[in-house]
Amino acid sequence: MAKKMLDGNGAAAEALRLTRPKVVAVYPITPQSTISETMAEFVDFGKLDAEYIRVESEHSAMSACVAAGLAGVRTTTATASQGLALMNEVLSMASGLRIPMVMPVVNRGLAAPWTLQCEHGDAMNARDTGWMQFYCQNVQEIFDMILMGVKIAEDSRVLLPMMVCFDGFFLSHSMQKLEIPTQEEVDEFIGEYVAKNMYLDTEDPMFCCDLTGPEDFTEMRYQQKVGMDNATVVAAEVMDEFAAKFGRKMTQVESYLTEDADAVLVALGSMNGTIKYVVNKMRAEGKKVGMVKLTQFRPFPAALVREALKDVPVVGVFDRSSCMGNYNGPLWNETAGALTRTNVDLRHFIGGLGGRDVPAVNVERMFNELLEIKAGTRTENTEWIDLKEGAMEIRQVTKYVRD
Amino acid sequence: MQNQQEKPTKKLQKCSVLGPVAAIFASANTGSWRLERPEVDFDQCIKCGTCARYCPPDIITIDKTKKECVSFDWNYCKGCGICANECPKKCIKMVPEGSEA
Amino acid sequence: MLQLKFFGIGGQGVVTGAKVLSKAVSLYEDEYAVTIPSYGHERRGAPVNTSMIVDKEPVLLNSFVYEPDVVIVFDPTLPQKNVNVANGIHEESILILNSEDPEVVKQYKDMGFKKVYYVDATAIAYKYIGRAIPNSSMLGAIAKADICSIESVQKAIAETFGKKAGDKNAESARETYEKTAEM
Repeated sequence: MAKKMLDGNGAAAEALRLTRPKVVAVYPITPQSTISETMAEFVDFGKLDAEYIRVESEHSAMSACVAAGLAGVRTTTATASQGLALMNEVLSMASGLRIPMVMPVVNRGLAAPWTLQCEHGDAMNARDTGWMQFYCQNVQEIFDMILMGVKIAEDSRVLLPMMVCFDGFFLSHSMQKLEIPTQEEVDEFIGEYVAKNMYLDTEDPMFCCDLTGPEDFTEMRYQQKVGMDNATVVAAEVMDEFAAKFGRKMTQVESYLTEDADAVLVALGSMNGTIKYVVNKMRAEGKKVGMVKLTQFRPFPAALVREALKDVPVVGVFDRSSCMGNYNGPLWNETAGALTRTNVDLRHFIGGLGGRDVPAVNVERMFNELLEIKAGTRTENTEWIDLKEGAMEIRQVTKYVRD
Repeated sequence: MQNQQEKPTKKLQKCSVLGPVAAIFASANTGSWRLERPEVDFDQCIKCGTCARYCPPDIITIDKTKKECVSFDWNYCKGCGICANECPKKCIKMVPEGSEA
Repeated sequence: MLQLKFFGIGGQGVVTGAKVLSKAVSLYEDEYAVTIPSYGHERRGAPVNTSMIVDKEPVLLNSFVYEPDVVIVFDPTLPQKNVNVANGIHEESILILNSEDPEVVKQYKDMGFKKVYYVDATAIAYKYIGRAIPNSSMLGAIAKADICSIESVQKAIAETFGKKAGDKNAESARETYEKTAEM
């Protein structure tokens, strides 16, 4: 196990290399680009024995991966934002054809307004495509989650693709120290790829993805649902196995100082580091706050979330995506569903959109509002926590107007 | 197009616009990005115009009637150095921006 | 916990400089460093900044630095470009400045920094690598301010840039380290 300094993209590329994919088809897009560049270098310099397909778009990248998966090899790609949106049509093809691939998604907002920067809107847009989604807090987690992801996805009880999501720039371009196992250790952990489901072979022909009528469609969707249900069980097993082998434990739903907490924040991604920092700081001041960090978002671990939060008086859910037209953000919706018929006072926050930083002061403000609600000195919380004043008038232009 | 219909109104008014729109082009002066600028040694220059042909923003003007035949539009030269790279006589040098001519 | 903020203009290697420093303290000094770059619409010549947090323990915070203990300025003309490099500084904050002009150094010192380490890192970069990219040389000045040892900086530079370019860059850091003065 070697210690190294890598940014999030470097860690993702290194982890993918160690899983020995045979076909790699990555189309570059900010802030993912260095993954596509690094993977191409690995193949070019002989550090990875794979076919690197130079595709003309993300739609083609995912199509190539689906075909490679059906041909019976481990395959991968990576994307972000508009690229993930362009892939959307083929995403559900991959999951429906039960291709067990792992794809890093470097979270970046969707246009318009054009942005290159972090929020979870891109992945949330793809949350119902039949892919698993796991979110990472730091660079080590990106690396570990990709290795675990391959093992979870390829388990015969699951056989579903997984997005390993991490925050654009805040993680993708953040240099951090991490531990990297040897190729032998990784091989031993994930094993050689075996095509366990349908495959394309001229010696043993099958027709994959034929037109399916209403008499069978529901059952095939149900098979996917069972795979998703199993994934929660398998993920727990794999995370334990990983911890036993490598000494680092990730959990699907991590509770931190929640037992006696008056208020708890729930979040995805890199903000959890900042939230934990603020929890430590406020605990030192005698304020009873805690956090629940979700690594697993798809399948949504409803039972685990319910268990973690059911006795907390006030819970705030912090969404880093806006989910337009929905009652609240996507993480809030899922959490609210999990907490049906409990007495938890569930509150909602939105922030950190389009690259806006989530500094410790904003996290502290959210906690303080939740504590005031608990104490009865406040009734409503500030939902858009980092909204500037005068939001409706930020662009003023002189233009021709009709009478 | 001479008889093009008049706009329904010509009244200019300041108003708020929803969504991403910009009316001020703050980064139009790309010359301000320059860290290094090209300097030509006119004793060696053969007036071939290669630098002008390769210049990506096309801001080099060649006037073969003058000794100092190469001129740059400093408002738009980003200092990329492609002219210096392509010069067949290697008589264009990149010097730090702000240094003495 | 030490919070650092790097300021410069696109093309000077500000982000790379911070990455190399984070390697120096994480791999050769047994501490933990996290860099959080602030990206905009990247282009040469535009003001850029990057944040870095160093601690004995793994760093939890994942946000920009707002109250820096150390400010590193790669380009002394930033105040003319409407960048306030003294934003959020406190009584103990120090500055590492790429300029030897006494008037410029004085002007920065008057912003409220406790101490200013200054050197013409661009000139030294030109001498060794022939280009106006002062990131490696500025790391020498940072070592002078005792953020980490010059040996660790040189090792991290060698690891990042490879043998040939690494040696020249490491030498430029060493010379800058020796020439850096204090005010």
